[in-house]
Amino acid sequence: MRTMPYSPRGNSMEPGPADPDMLLHRLLEESARRSPDKIAVVCGAARASYAQLNGAADRLGAALQACGLQKGDFVAILHENSFEFIAAYFGALKAGAVAVPLNTDLKPEGLEPILLELKPHAIIASDRQTEKIWCGKDEALTRTAVILSDNARIPRLRGVEYVSLLRTLADGRHVLDISDAAAENDPACIIYTSGSTGRPKGVVLSHKNIVANTRSIISCLDLTERDVQMAVLPFFYVFGLSLLHTHLAVGGTLVLNNQFSFTGAVLEQMMAENVTGFSGVPSTYAYLLHRSGLAALRERLPMLRYCSQAGGHMARQLKLDLRAALPDHTRIIIMYGATEASARLTWLDPRDFLRKIDSIGKEIPGVQITILDENGNEAAPGETGELVAAGPNIMRGYFNDPASTALALDAHGYHTGDLGYRDEEGFLFLTGRRDNQMKVGGRRVDPQEIEDVIIESGLAIEAAVIALPDELLGSAPAALVVPSAAGVSAEELFVFCARRLPRYKAPQLFLNGTALPKNGSGKIDRGKCAEIIMRLQAQRKMAPGA
Amino acid sequence: MEIIDQVRDYIVKNFLFGDAGAFTDTTSLLENGIVDSTGLLEIIQFLETTFAISIQDHELLPVNLNSVENIVRFVREKKKP
Repeated sequence: MRTMPYSPRGNSMEPGPADPDMLLHRLLEESARRSPDKIAVVCGAARASYAQLNGAADRLGAALQACGLQKGDFVAILHENSFEFIAAYFGALKAGAVAVPLNTDLKPEGLEPILLELKPHAIIASDRQTEKIWCGKDEALTRTAVILSDNARIPRLRGVEYVSLLRTLADGRHVLDISDAAAENDPACIIYTSGSTGRPKGVVLSHKNIVANTRSIISCLDLTERDVQMAVLPFFYVFGLSLLHTHLAVGGTLVLNNQFSFTGAVLEQMMAENVTGFSGVPSTYAYLLHRSGLAALRERLPMLRYCSQAGGHMARQLKLDLRAALPDHTRIIIMYGATEASARLTWLDPRDFLRKIDSIGKEIPGVQITILDENGNEAAPGETGELVAAGPNIMRGYFNDPASTALALDAHGYHTGDLGYRDEEGFLFLTGRRDNQMKVGGRRVDPQEIEDVIIESGLAIEAAVIALPDELLGSAPAALVVPSAAGVSAEELFVFCARRLPRYKAPQLFLNGTALPKNGSGKIDRGKCAEIIMRLQAQRKMAPGA
Repeated sequence: MEIIDQVRDYIVKNFLFGDAGAFTDTTSLLENGIVDSTGLLEIIQFLETTFAISIQDHELLPVNLNSVENIVRFVREKKKP
């Protein structure tokens, strides 16, 4: 299979027959051709038809080309879910570029290494996100020819052109040149995920990877043009992005709501827009169950056909509570996947939801999963091993990282790092992660990144970060820290972490004597650290005034 | 201390880490990334404890909770006998 690293230029690595139907932007173009007046996107009070969306994407793509963009160049998108995001994303693809949607929660320190690695030709940013770009190093912008934004306060940099995003989407001065179109194996997207070293890794997905996966998901969920999805997951996250791909491919409607915290308002909008599908990670559903009054509204959701869940293990009790709260006609679809798999790998047929409640189901069409034991042999039913996935949706590799690519991809396929087994009936079950990575609210978090920040503060000698079970997020990071001086407080350390890390990565802190427990080889014993944290947490809960 | 000062102090201390910068009483907490859904739950817990009110699920709306100004109006209404 694919073991070669991805190279950023001259990227037709596997020149195959040109199949225009396997190009990602064709999904939008075909829906615009079939039903130009159908509403594609609802964002607040604004609505956009397929013709409007496709037209805006054409104009944006043409404007990028007018700024010198060539096939295979990178276009970084720093924009919240919006009409502008979708037009920018498809516009970049139409122009032959590789679209790179970036995490809008990143702080400038997190954004900087990514921009330095990418050196994007163009950056498309919302007003709020634009200001972050300048907090990094100018070096990150050495290949940047144009920034599309409507933030007038940004400092100007020599050699960089500034173009109004909104005007570009509305203005048809340039004509899109499609003479040098992408081929199906060309990269379409790079999606950043945290890697095992804690550094973000760019997952390179081809047009074919995404289109194949999109088609498989559509067939499992029976999606049609009548479907209306409430999209609360961000599009920079592969699960959120797959909602965009699948719904635009079938000619459905996406309702964008970036304020899921206000669950009351989200449910009101679901009722008003006759939403048929909702998708979330475990914490989405925990929040919905704890703070929305969902059960009281179940009679008012007659159109809600299904709810899908992915992005980490959801506790059995949460699944049962969700079943009880949702209307009887709403199916719950449990899915499993990875950024490296373009989104999805398996799904649990809702008819088996209760019977196989702890299972992630079976492969979606086109995917094959093999469970390999420690020796690389296929495990017998019931025997635990690593899930290794193959199929047309598996990534081409990690951007600029042949070593990680070689570790993740081999002749068997993509090594997920997830451990699990298959039962006699073929259902797959997950039991844990091969490494220490944790998922916080569906987002992959590497303990090392947090530990590095703690140590960097100068307030700590050593630190071990573990995942603590969390009712809302599934798991949340907690750190056992040996302070560098007697006066160091957990509060002061937390402030440092919270300034440097996205909030969900800022750990709950526990201070511990003079050293962390170690194993025989001198490595920190994470199991023992976890025990100490649990004990300290229990004491904290019992303390008066806690 | 006035309700508005208590709310503002809490948000500045816990979410802006003392750096109020351009933060005003009408700044949108969610749109500006000052709080996420977990943060909102923390604010709710703070309001319930500090002002001895009970916030219902259906009251989780931007109009009640998305800025210092909205929160203060909401708390005052809840505290009315």
